[in-house]
Amino acid sequence: MAESTVLNLVLWLPVLGMVALLLAPHGTDRAIRGFALALMLLQLVLAAWLYRRFDGAVAGLQFETRLPWIRDWGVHYHIGLDGLNVLLVALTAFLGPLVVAGSFTAIRKQVKLFYAMVFFIQFAMMGTFVAQDLFLFYVFWEAMLIPMFLIIGIWGGERRIYATLKFVLYTAFGSILMLAAVIYLVWSQSQVTGSMSFAFADLGRHPLPLGAQSWLLAAFALSFAIKVPMVPLHTWLPDAHVEAPTAGSVILAGVLLKMGTYGFMKLGFPLFPDATRAFLPALMILSVVSILYGACLALVQTDIKKIIAYSSISHLGYVMLGLVSLDLVGIQGAIIQMVSHGLVAGGLFTMVGMIYERCHTRELANYGGLAKLLPVYSVFFMILTLASIGLPTTSGFTGEFMVLLGAFNAAWPPHLAGDSLPLVVAVSAVAGVVLGALYMLWLAQRLLFGEVKAPHQPFTDLVAREKAILLAFVVAIFALGLFPQGPLAKTELAARDYQQRVLASRVPEAAP
Amino acid sequence: MNWSLILTSMLPEHLLLVGMLAILGLEIKSGRSRDGFGFAVLFVAAAAVAALWLYATGFTGAPFLHHFSVGPATSLPKAVLLALALPVLLISRDDFAETPYYTLVLASLYGACLVISSDSFPTLFLGIEIMSLPVYALVVLGMLRAQSAEAALKYLVLGGAATATLLLGISFLYGWSGSLQLAAFSWALGSNDPLAMAGIALITAALFLKAAIVPFHAWAPDAYEGASAPVTAYMATIIKAGVLLAALRLFGTTPVLAPVVGLLAILPLISMAWGNLAAIRQASVRRMIAYSSIAHAGYLFYALLGDGRGRWEAIVFYLVAYGLMNVLVFAALPRGADDERQDRLDTLKGLYRRRPFAAIMISIAMLSLAGLPPLPGFVAKFLVFKNVLAAGYTGYAVAGLVASYLGLYFYLRVIQYMFMAEEEPGAARGSPRRYVVMASLLCLVPAVLLMLFPGWLIDRL
Repeated sequence: MAESTVLNLVLWLPVLGMVALLLAPHGTDRAIRGFALALMLLQLVLAAWLYRRFDGAVAGLQFETRLPWIRDWGVHYHIGLDGLNVLLVALTAFLGPLVVAGSFTAIRKQVKLFYAMVFFIQFAMMGTFVAQDLFLFYVFWEAMLIPMFLIIGIWGGERRIYATLKFVLYTAFGSILMLAAVIYLVWSQSQVTGSMSFAFADLGRHPLPLGAQSWLLAAFALSFAIKVPMVPLHTWLPDAHVEAPTAGSVILAGVLLKMGTYGFMKLGFPLFPDATRAFLPALMILSVVSILYGACLALVQTDIKKIIAYSSISHLGYVMLGLVSLDLVGIQGAIIQMVSHGLVAGGLFTMVGMIYERCHTRELANYGGLAKLLPVYSVFFMILTLASIGLPTTSGFTGEFMVLLGAFNAAWPPHLAGDSLPLVVAVSAVAGVVLGALYMLWLAQRLLFGEVKAPHQPFTDLVAREKAILLAFVVAIFALGLFPQGPLAKTELAARDYQQRVLASRVPEAAP
Repeated sequence: MNWSLILTSMLPEHLLLVGMLAILGLEIKSGRSRDGFGFAVLFVAAAAVAALWLYATGFTGAPFLHHFSVGPATSLPKAVLLALALPVLLISRDDFAETPYYTLVLASLYGACLVISSDSFPTLFLGIEIMSLPVYALVVLGMLRAQSAEAALKYLVLGGAATATLLLGISFLYGWSGSLQLAAFSWALGSNDPLAMAGIALITAALFLKAAIVPFHAWAPDAYEGASAPVTAYMATIIKAGVLLAALRLFGTTPVLAPVVGLLAILPLISMAWGNLAAIRQASVRRMIAYSSIAHAGYLFYALLGDGRGRWEAIVFYLVAYGLMNVLVFAALPRGADDERQDRLDTLKGLYRRRPFAAIMISIAMLSLAGLPPLPGFVAKFLVFKNVLAAGYTGYAVAGLVASYLGLYFYLRVIQYMFMAEEEPGAARGSPRRYVVMASLLCLVPAVLLMLFPGWLIDRL
């Protein structure tokens, strides 16, 4: 009982903070920032405790709370940790204080509202990950749009209104069809069992004919794929990322995109396994197209933030590839890759924010030879670049390597009898790694080396606060790269369960 | 005549009547107009409590057999409607000092109560007319601008057309069944007779006209814009609720069959889409709300496609969520120097800087009206579409959801104006009046409770 309270606390602390901030009389910006940081650190400590106490050898939910919410419909306030979400909860809590501390100097207007919205989105993201009830999941999933709309729209760049409306309208369109699918799924389930239930567990047992599964998967997948985003549904991402304030970009890249892949892993694929297997070739192709297309687009950008935004599309393609490989190593690699990308992209966006604060431009052509001007900055940037490429000892290596291994395992011996597609996909994904090295190293070369040039000199190197933030990112990246056994042990059972569920058939048996 | 039964079961109506007479008497006697407001609030609150008491005790009775009956299913909507009228009265205080305003509002509420309890066509007709007639006067009462008179006239003419259509429909059904019971409508739903079908179509068309469903919606934007803010709030909330409850009374729990399904699905679907799209182009807050309410009327009629109990659940929950949020918008809207200015959407620009709480409340209302979770509007939308889907109309449900998506943009635009736009020079400042704050809290607190515990209300429906 006491243990589940901690998870509830982790979830609801940001709400307390938000209400406190909105109702508080005008405090000084300094006090607000301190309060926000303290609250996020508290959340991180509690989440870290949960992570340590989480037992990977136990199947099913831990730290579970299940209370009736809407009795009539069988909706429950049902939250808990399992192997699929425990790492993502830890990642969300880890990024919280970094986002808050990273915006101390960047956000100067309407500070109170800003931190209230950061709390709100933290709550919604955490809720999406821990929810074990489809209704609750959907509520959190959609609620996330509200703070993001404001974060991009109020504190964003020049084209912020366009970017934020595009983001919200794009994602809401996916969600509305998902809502139709949710209603249909629950209703058809209630036709069989006689009572409505939104519990993931109940819905996961409900047999569905292949046709219905396909439609429902399509609706869920549209919503999730927009969020991931998978090519060709990615066009909102560069705009949102470029216009968002640094904190918004870190939240977007760090956690929000993972909600899409998490959705596929937790709901989309296991709920509709037969349809998933039928669409497997298409999903594989889309994943690898995301990897390659994202990388190619990253190559030709001239805006630093856009390069990293497109690299996100490419990196999340690996996550999708791992998930659809249906190989245990690949699935676990996908989970690690999600966390790794959150750390690496989060760190890179933070670094872009730091240079932007100093020079007010993100055009790569304006920069050069920063290694001489900003040595500390350059060291951190180089480490993050190498992590993004997937150099061994960094988290990027663990994730990508396992995903590729999984993709080859799936291709050899061929699962899909006589089909050479998985092999083509796996080989192309390897080409993506090369492209990744190309655009990231090229970016580092143009930014850090060569002729010294910067919009206005002299400017200061990193201050202590910025060093601390980046150090946290780097330590986490190496920790995950050097000691992946811990997280892998915690996720193994859940990954196995996911694999079995997607490989099992849920088409109702024909009446004799 | 069972006088004690009449006294108890019609207690809310009696209290409204007494309130009306008291206000009239007061005006004759003292001429101190301010007291009209106090009396109106007092008697409406008393009537709401009375309705709630009837509901809580589970009182059932028919003081006028086959014409007027009372039960939990009528007491609850009455309580909801009367409770929603309270914040509307509170925001009226600064606009309307005259006593006739309050008399008219109470009279209209009396009509709405009659509609909810009606068992026969004459009672229903009387109720609808008593509910609507005072509103024609209310629209023109403030005469804040020249268009008010035009708006009132348009509303009156089209309201008259609705009345005529309703009467024609009733006479068809009477001719077909020989009965003036509301049950005749249910019988007609199950028949294929052309006369019965014509009756149903005419009565439904009259309801569509009153609730402003496309293509019978043209009066609404003009009337809403011409009226003053509290009257607009009253029309968008109470009148709409009254009409929908009348529809609920007529359709009851009878499932709808093929030809009527088309009638109930297609026009409301067009309303949703058209209301949401046309709202994007509006520069006036009230016109925008008018188009939004056209779309919401669409959702509400959609709920009739569902089965009996689900219908009731969806419509009442929807009316509560929608009503609270609609009144909240009008309570939180800043008062401008003059009416025309106050009504411009541009005046909302930069509102968060000036009046953060007002901006947050309007945002909550907008997001709820847009049906975004976790706000109550989402649960309401969910209920409606769940019923449509459960009745087997998957296509209509998906189309309706997509139509509801179209509304997202203009609701978000209001938030964009308040939070992301620079302030207009010369925007009104000053803090809100006490009564307006009370009205906002009366809407906000139940809305927040409904957001946290939607199950509490759903279990009771």
